[in-house]
Amino acid sequence: MPEYNPQGNRKTRLIRNLLVASLACPILVACSTTSRLEPYKQTDAVLEAGEGIVILARRHHSTHEAEQDFVDCISDALTKGRDPILVHDSTDFLDTLYPWFEPSTAPLNISDLTELLDRPAVAERVEDTGVRFVVWLDGSTDRVASGGSITCAAGIGGAGCMGLAWWEDDARYDVDVWDIDGLNQSGTIYADVRGRSVMPAIIVPMPFIARPQAKACRGLTDQLELFLTTPEGYGAGPEPEIG
Amino acid sequence: MAPKRNSLCNIGLALAAIALAGCTSSVVVESDFPAPLVEELPVSIALYYDPALRDFIHAEALPRSSTWTIDLGDANLAMLDPLYDSMFAATREIQALQPLPTDAATFDGILSSALQEFQFDLPNATRDEFVEVWLEYRLELQTPNGEMIFAWEVAGYGKAEIDRNREDAVHRASITAMREAGARISTQFRLQPQISDWLKDIEDARI
Repeated sequence: MPEYNPQGNRKTRLIRNLLVASLACPILVACSTTSRLEPYKQTDAVLEAGEGIVILARRHHSTHEAEQDFVDCISDALTKGRDPILVHDSTDFLDTLYPWFEPSTAPLNISDLTELLDRPAVAERVEDTGVRFVVWLDGSTDRVASGGSITCAAGIGGAGCMGLAWWEDDARYDVDVWDIDGLNQSGTIYADVRGRSVMPAIIVPMPFIARPQAKACRGLTDQLELFLTTPEGYGAGPEPEIG
Repeated sequence: MAPKRNSLCNIGLALAAIALAGCTSSVVVESDFPAPLVEELPVSIALYYDPALRDFIHAEALPRSSTWTIDLGDANLAMLDPLYDSMFAATREIQALQPLPTDAATFDGILSSALQEFQFDLPNATRDEFVEVWLEYRLELQTPNGEMIFAWEVAGYGKAEIDRNREDAVHRASITAMREAGARISTQFRLQPQISDWLKDIEDARI
């Protein structure tokens, strides 16, 4: 019969916890997200009752384009937020205003927008949509670094993997808010969220995945909500965070 | 023995057909193209669509990839019909490109449309995320008695992110390229110097 040794058991448990912590800590620290949000509002224009917005991706760059999923993520979140905002469907807006918001014809600045709205038919059609603010989304999420390796093998006795892989994604977006009523630029929001994911493999691969794009969507949605409903000087964005 | 050999042959042919089908990517471009919001030109136009435009199918065997067929025939008409209807005061389609009889002088011109080039590019590396499509229409405007007024090559470019599959991305990129070409036609047609002169001549003739 084994001898009951409470001190020995405690010691074993302590060693096991230390071992788990020493393995988990570097992985959790390595799997991190860093975010930076910089809002800047230069007018005190806010959404009035019955007014809406449209979120459009900038599509004239040859190298990148804001993902439609990302546009949908912000649109959905604003529509279903605490204080729901009327968000006009972007595809419907592009069709209604065709051909004036296609990649080669879309206004690139307020002067272009003013010129476009000088056309009575266009101005009337925009008014019919109820859109007060055009929110331009420019940027993308890209893999900026990756490394490590995982080796897997299988035999008669079983299979398993060993190693460590990591990758880093950067979600960088510029939001430009145009006021159609005032024919001016209301302000900008810059978001840069970088996330490092790690996948250690000790027999079984265990992914610890950072989701910078989802975090950028949440951050920009919160900022846009404030931006569109609070007059000038609504305050800086959340502090840069690590974790 | 012969029936057995025949059935083995059939199985072989069926497997070969399945394998070949697996190597072909087929895209039929379909979309509801919106009518452009542009000021109508006060002219009546006879529209002629090149038969190759109506039945346009781009087929290309890509190295280290499959054979692609991209059918734009119906989409070409779905894009150009509402476009021209909005651009001109009156339009009517004609089936042959020849001088109109004198009793058809109600038309101010004949506009023929053809799709003369189509190119697409699929990403080779896994890090490339976009499919690109480039196409070029050729428009020719003639007087009712067949004199050339203006020939215009209009290009359209579109790219689409690969999120579901490559066929879907090619489909979306093609639509973007066609919309882009349509945007150019509808916004820049009247700005071409020969068109301005032609419109002025028609206006002067009416006074």
